[in-house]
Amino acid sequence: MNAIETASLAKLFPGGHGVHALDLTVPAGAIYGFLGPNGAGKTTTIRLLLSLLRPDAGTVRIFGEPLTAHRRGALAHVGALVESPSLYGHLSGRENVEVTRRLVAAPQGRVDAALRLVDLVGDADRLVRTYSLGMRQRLALALALLAEPRLLILDEPSNGLDPAGILELRSLLRRLVAERGITVFVSSHLLAEVEQIATHLGVIDRGRLLFQGTVEQLRRRAPARLLVGCDDVARALELLRAAGERATVDLGGTVVVALAERSGAEINRLLVEHGVGVGRLALDEASLESLFLALTRGEALAA
Amino acid sequence: MSGGWRAGARAIAGALAAESLKLRRTLALRMCLVTPAVVVVLCVLQFGLTKTPLGGADPQAAWRAFAGASFALWAFLMMPLFVTLEAALLAGLEHGERQWKHLLALPVPRVVHYLAKWAALIALLFATALAFTALIAAGGWVLMQVRPDAGLAGWPPWWWLLRCCLAMVVAALLMATIQLWVAIRWSSFTVAVAAGMTATVAGFMIGQSRFGHWYPWTLPVQLFTRGREHVDFAMAASVLGAAMVLGLSLWDFARREVE
Repeated sequence: MNAIETASLAKLFPGGHGVHALDLTVPAGAIYGFLGPNGAGKTTTIRLLLSLLRPDAGTVRIFGEPLTAHRRGALAHVGALVESPSLYGHLSGRENVEVTRRLVAAPQGRVDAALRLVDLVGDADRLVRTYSLGMRQRLALALALLAEPRLLILDEPSNGLDPAGILELRSLLRRLVAERGITVFVSSHLLAEVEQIATHLGVIDRGRLLFQGTVEQLRRRAPARLLVGCDDVARALELLRAAGERATVDLGGTVVVALAERSGAEINRLLVEHGVGVGRLALDEASLESLFLALTRGEALAA
Repeated sequence: MSGGWRAGARAIAGALAAESLKLRRTLALRMCLVTPAVVVVLCVLQFGLTKTPLGGADPQAAWRAFAGASFALWAFLMMPLFVTLEAALLAGLEHGERQWKHLLALPVPRVVHYLAKWAALIALLFATALAFTALIAAGGWVLMQVRPDAGLAGWPPWWWLLRCCLAMVVAALLMATIQLWVAIRWSSFTVAVAAGMTATVAGFMIGQSRFGHWYPWTLPVQLFTRGREHVDFAMAASVLGAAMVLGLSLWDFARREVE
């Protein structure tokens, strides 16, 4: 069962920006990192997933239930935090949660449970206008978790959090997935924020989904590179290319070989046997960050 | 009652309960007492500091004259401005930190949020009417003490006072419904207040013209300036107009996109 499934989802704004033909598939129980540079269409996608925007085309299904402007029942499974926290500063933390509880008719006991989950019980009776940014973010998470959702949609949740706050958020999300089996869909423009917790990734840029799959699948799309320091770069390039290898030279004069069929040892042997002295061999595995950047810069990756 | 209606009623009850909680510690709530108090204080000062006559020897006539002056100031100027402010403040609670994106992502029909907001505004107007009734009585009592020759004596005409205050709210329903739509439709506090102030000031002229019968911002004051038959017309026009505008507002709100 997929937690989120969209088919050809599109929304265009005047000026041409928006999202085009998105086919998202978020498996239930996954932590799905939705990545893209600022302005890539992440927030538009999230607003479409929450029925805050009407799509120009395409469909959204949440746990198999269709979500439209008139069929909003699927939202009962969803807790969301869209961009900055939406809180009433003149009310206390507890009163803020109570407002949402009354709206969704959750049991009274859920208020304290949600506050406990985000470690805000001690400050629950303070007015929200006195909260720090991190506390406001945690309170907004409490609102999202109030009705015990099966799917949590978070839009750039670590915006404005300090490093300790980001760590806390990560550990909370891991706990929620491990203990309650909920699905988390989290958007970010920074891969580093989600790569440590995400099981699945979607990369979007200019409104188009460039990659979707597991973290492993993404890694496999960019082969490791072999960096070769040798005494005759021109000869080495000639030999490698003649042998069918994709070899280039970087600015420092190092030969860079995209590893495919041959291993590093075989390339070394090939060069040495043809009289090229090899002084240095190093394996350079692509980081997710570089893969992400390559994707969003439009560089080709292996399929 | 079918399951759908029951669920709808439960959602509206929940949204109303949420609205009542949101009003805690707000200026919107405090203004329900402050605004009518300002009107009553001005009228007490007007009659207390001058020798303006208050209806001769009949104490009930004096009460009616004092209350009538308060009603005139309230209905003509203060109430339209108060409605403008209340609508802007209530809508501002949701515009402030862009709460709509949280509220409208909840599994609650969109129109429920709007209906609850409208009901909160109307409830505040009725609460203000009750406060106004009590404040006029209190103002009259103060006037009795500072100016015994004014002619006020005995109990105020409670039922008449209350009926007039409530009738003004009914006549203001159309104006309030339009103001709420403006305040929710545009997130800027300035737009909502400017629209209300412009409409109020325009009412000074339009109210005296042949279109005055129909002008939403002057319907409350028409209860006191025209004949008895016009009272029923003003209230009926306000109720029917409010129902129509509310219907259109709900349609508009249900289609609105949250960016």
